[in-house]
Amino acid sequence: MSPSFGRGAMTNSWQDMQNSECFLIAGSNCAECHPIAMKWVNRARAKGAKVIVVDPRFTRTASQADIFAQIRPGTDIAYLGAMINYYIENKLYDEYYVKNFTNALYKISKDFAFNDGLFSGFDPETKKYDYSSWAYQLDAENKPIKASSLDDPDCVFQKLKTHFSRYTFEVASKITGIPQEKIKLIADTFAAAKPGNIFYALGMTQHTTAVQGIRCYAIIQLLLGNVGKAGGGIQALRGEPNVQGSTDMANLNANLPGYIPYPTNQEKTLHDFAMKNGSVQHKPLVALLKAWFGKNATAENEYGYQWLPKNNPSNMPIQPQFFNKMAEGQFKLLLNWGSNSTVSIPDRKLVARGLSALEMLVVADVFLTETAQFWREPGLNPAEIPTEVIFLPAAFVYEKAGSMTNSSRLIQWKEAAIPPLNGVHPDLDMLDHIFKKVRALYAGSNDPKDEPILKANWDYGDHEADPLKVLQELGGYNDVTGKPIASIGEYLAAPVGTVSTGCWIYTGVTPEGQNLADRRGNADPTGLGLNKDYAFAWPGNIRVLYNRASCDAYGQPVDPRRKLIWWDPAQNLWVGNDGPDVADKTKGPDTPEGKQAFRMNPEGVGRLFAATYKSGTLATPPESIAAVPIRGAGMTVDGPMPEFYEPIESPTPNLLHPNVQNNPLAKIVSTDFGNPDEYPYVLTTYGVVEHFCAGAITRNIPWLNEIAPEPYAEISRNLAHKIGVKEGDEVEVSSARGKLVVRALVTDRIQTLKINGKDQETIGMPWSWGFASLSPGPSTNNVTMNACDPGAGTPEYKCCLVNIRRA
Amino acid sequence: MARKMVFIDTSLCTGCKACSVACKAWNDLPAEKTKRIVSYQTQADFTPTTWTYVQFRENYKNEKMQFNMIKLQCFHCADPACMKACSSDAIYKTETGYTLIDQDKCIGCGYCTKNCPWEVPKTDSKINKTSKCTGCIDRVEAGMKPACVQTCQPGALQFGDYDEMMAVAQARLAELKLSNHKANLYGDQFMGSTTYLYLLEDTPYSYGLHPNPVSPISLTIWKDLVHPLGGIAIGASAVAIAGGVVANFVMGNYAKRAKKIAESHNEGGK
Repeated sequence: MSPSFGRGAMTNSWQDMQNSECFLIAGSNCAECHPIAMKWVNRARAKGAKVIVVDPRFTRTASQADIFAQIRPGTDIAYLGAMINYYIENKLYDEYYVKNFTNALYKISKDFAFNDGLFSGFDPETKKYDYSSWAYQLDAENKPIKASSLDDPDCVFQKLKTHFSRYTFEVASKITGIPQEKIKLIADTFAAAKPGNIFYALGMTQHTTAVQGIRCYAIIQLLLGNVGKAGGGIQALRGEPNVQGSTDMANLNANLPGYIPYPTNQEKTLHDFAMKNGSVQHKPLVALLKAWFGKNATAENEYGYQWLPKNNPSNMPIQPQFFNKMAEGQFKLLLNWGSNSTVSIPDRKLVARGLSALEMLVVADVFLTETAQFWREPGLNPAEIPTEVIFLPAAFVYEKAGSMTNSSRLIQWKEAAIPPLNGVHPDLDMLDHIFKKVRALYAGSNDPKDEPILKANWDYGDHEADPLKVLQELGGYNDVTGKPIASIGEYLAAPVGTVSTGCWIYTGVTPEGQNLADRRGNADPTGLGLNKDYAFAWPGNIRVLYNRASCDAYGQPVDPRRKLIWWDPAQNLWVGNDGPDVADKTKGPDTPEGKQAFRMNPEGVGRLFAATYKSGTLATPPESIAAVPIRGAGMTVDGPMPEFYEPIESPTPNLLHPNVQNNPLAKIVSTDFGNPDEYPYVLTTYGVVEHFCAGAITRNIPWLNEIAPEPYAEISRNLAHKIGVKEGDEVEVSSARGKLVVRALVTDRIQTLKINGKDQETIGMPWSWGFASLSPGPSTNNVTMNACDPGAGTPEYKCCLVNIRRA
Repeated sequence: MARKMVFIDTSLCTGCKACSVACKAWNDLPAEKTKRIVSYQTQADFTPTTWTYVQFRENYKNEKMQFNMIKLQCFHCADPACMKACSSDAIYKTETGYTLIDQDKCIGCGYCTKNCPWEVPKTDSKINKTSKCTGCIDRVEAGMKPACVQTCQPGALQFGDYDEMMAVAQARLAELKLSNHKANLYGDQFMGSTTYLYLLEDTPYSYGLHPNPVSPISLTIWKDLVHPLGGIAIGASAVAIAGGVVANFVMGNYAKRAKKIAESHNEGGK
C-alpha cells in the first residue's frame, strides 16, 4: 500500500467497517483469524451491506458471504486484473476522484514499455529492474506533466487501460478457475455498492506476487473512489495484536522505526542519506538518532550517524533466508524472541540446519517451543549439534505493561493484570538487563566500534525497565522546551535537530503528563465509529487515512451520511469529526496543499502507476533542507503496474506469457522443486481459529487442544474418491521438499476446479503444529515452498505442488 | 428478576467455538481428549464436563454450500421434561427462566437425560451426579451476561429480557425471511417455550434437531394429571397411559437404582 497511498498501513479501522456497503474479503479468513472483524461486518450487514468472499476453499468466513468464489491459490491478480479492465472499459470508475486524487492524468516517459511479461529496464543477469523508464514526463521545474484528458495516449490512465486489456473475464476464468459470470458478478456488485471495503491478510501476502496483488486492490479502490472514505479503503488485517506495532518499530531490516529507509553502505554521511532519501526522511532520522544517542548526538558529529551500522544491500537476508546464512556461518548468535521458526518457516528443514551451525541460541518464550528444543526433533542427532541453547522464560501478555499497536494503527496502553511468576520477566526487563551488562563489559574501551554501545542513551529505570518511558521516547521530546512533544504538528513545525523521537509517526501520543494511548473514552457522537477519545491512532489520531479524498473541490463531504472532515471557510481551517489528513490545515481546498489527498506521496495523489519520482530540488545543503521539500516515492521493485505470474510451483503454464512463468524477481530460497507430473495437486496452507500462529501458546492450552486436537488435509470428494480415501483416513502429503502424514477431511467445501480446460484439485492444510507441546502434530511446513516476494520478503506459503496418497 | 432469553442467531455463527471454551473457563470444566469427528467438529455430544459445543453440518446442493454451524446447550425449557422426570426433586426452575439441577439433591439416576428430547443432561457415574449448562446463573444473577454470550464476537448470541429478545428474534426472522423462506425460529413453539431460542436458516432436521420435541406423554400424564389427583380413576385410556408410565419407570429400573444410590448417600459414600 505504501507505493500506492504513501503509508504501509490499514487505511481505516475495525469500527469503521460498520460504514461499508460492500466487502470484498479475499485473502482473509477473518471469521477465523480475525473474529473481531465479524462484529463490525455484521453491523454493516444488518444495514444491508453485501459480502463477497474469494478463497481457495469455502471457509467459515464464506459461510457469511452473499457471493462466494473458489479460486486457484496464487492467481488473484488474474481476476483482479479483469475487474480493473472491466471498470475501465465500462467507465465504472469515479471520474472526478480519478482525475483529482490519482496520477491518472500524469504523462509517462516514452521509454516505458511492457513486453511479454517483462517491464522495461529488466536486467536478466541481476534479475532486477532499473526504474528509470518508469518515470513521468517532467517539466522544467521537475514537476510531472499532466495530460488534459484521460484519452491522452501517454497518460497513466491509458497505460493502465492498455496493460489490463489482456485481462478479459475469459482469460481470468481460465487462470483462476472462477466462472466468467461470477467474476462479472463480483465486479458489478463491488462497483455498485459504495463505499466498498477490501480486507486482506496472509492469503494475499504469502505469495511471490504479494505486493502486486495488493497493488491491484489499491488500483480498484482508487478507480472506484473508495479510499479516504468512511466504510472504504483497504484493511490489512494484522495477525497478531501488535503486528502493526512491530512493523512500525522496523521489524523489516530495510527500515528504521517510523518507516525511515535504513541507511546502506552507499550513504557514507548523513548528507548522502539526505540527498538520497530527501528532507522528509532526513528530519526523522536526526530525531531518531537524538532519541537513541541523547546528548551525544550533535550537529557536529552528524547526530551520531556514524554509530549506526549500515546495511549492505548485496547481503541483506530476509527472515526465511537467515537460516541458510546461519548454515553458511554468517551468524554466531541468535536472540530469538516470540518466534517459533522451527514450526513457522516454509521448507522448515532449513531451520534446524541453520540453528545447528550457531554457537549460541537464546530463546525467550512463554513455553518451551519447538525452536527452544530444536535438537530434540525426531531424526536429528543431538550429539552432532554443538549449539549452546539458553531459554529465558518470558512473561505472558497479561503479566506485563506496555503499548501495542493494532491493525487500526491504534496505540493502546495496558497495565499488567497479574505479576509474572518467580524467575519470569517481561521482554523489556530482559533486554534492559542484557544491554546494561553488555555496556558494563565494554566500559573503558576506546575502540571506535564500541562507541555505539557506550554512547547510547539508555534510561528506562534502574532496576525494572519502565515501559511508559519507552512509549515516551517514541512519542518524543522537544529539546528546546525540554518537554514531551504535544502533537505531530509541533514535531513537523520544529527545525531539524531540535526534537528527538524514537518513532516520529507516534509523536503526540504522550503529551506532558498524559498517556493518550491509555484513554478509554467510548463516546461516538457521529455514530461513525471514530471514537476519537479511545487510545490514540497514528498519525495524529487520524482514524481514516487520506480523508481529504472524502471531500469535493470546495472541501465539502461528498457523502452526507459519512462526514469525516470539511473546509470551514469562516475559520479558514480544515475541521471535522476525524482529524484532517491534510498537509496544512490552514491551506484551503483550492490551494496546491489543500488539494492533496495523499500527502505522503511526492505527487500528493494516489498512484495507479507506481512511477519513480522525487519532489522538490536536490541541490540544497542538508542543514537547511527543511525549507525545501524533497520526498521520494515508494517503489514496487517488480513493476509499476501489477502483472500476473504463476506461483513458483504451478500446475499450468502462464497463459499470458509462457516464457515468463514466475515473478522474475522472486527470491527463491528452497532448492528442491517438483513438477506437475509427480506432484499434481496445489497445496494451500492456513491458520485456524482454534490455534494461534505456530501454536507455541495455544497448543499448551488444553481447552484449545480439545476443540482442535490435530492437523488435517482438506480434500474434495473427487480427490478422495480418486485416491481411495474416506473421511478420517490417514494420508501422506508430499512435495519435492518433504512429507507428513495427517488424517483426511473430505469435504464439499473444496471443489475440483477447471483450469485452462483441465481438472485441478486443491488441498488445504493448517500449519500450526510441531513435535513438542501438550498437543504435538506433524508440521505442514515440511512440504511448503520457501520463495519470497521480492518487495515484502514474504514467503509463498499459500501455494506449492504436492502429491497425496493413502498412508 | 424478569425471565431472560439467550437468542442464538445461527445465521451469524462462524463456528469459532469460543463459546465452548468460555463456558469451560468460567465454569472451571476440564478439557477432554478429543479427535476431529467430521468437518471442524471435535466434540461429539454433551458430557458431564462439556455443557456446550458447536456442531458442524455441511450441506452441498445445487453447487451451493450451506455450512451450518450451531451452538448446542440445555434449552432451559419453561416446561421441562427433566424436571418432571427427576426422581429426587433436584431439578427446579428459577424466575429468570433457567432450569437448574441442585447438585446436593441430585442422585445421578439419569432419568432427566432419558426424558429430555435432546438428551442434554449427562451423568458422571463415578460420582452419581448429573450436570448440564447452568445458563451461567451465577453471572446472570450478578447482572452479567452468560460467559458464552460475553465472548461471542460475531454477535450470534444475544442476551436480555425474554420479551425484548423475542422482539429482536422476530425482527431478525422477518429480515432473513426476505431472502430465505426456510428461516424459522426454534424454541418458542414447544416445551412451554425455551429460554435459549434459535433462529435457524433451514429445517431443524438439517441441524440434527428434533422438529417437534415433546415431553414423553406418559410423563406428562403422570406428573400433571395422575400424580396431583392422587390416583383417582380417570378412564380406561388414562389407565393405559399410566400403565405406560409404570413400564417406563420399570425399564429405567428406577426404584431400585434410586434406593441403592440413596443408601450409599446415607452411608456417607459418594
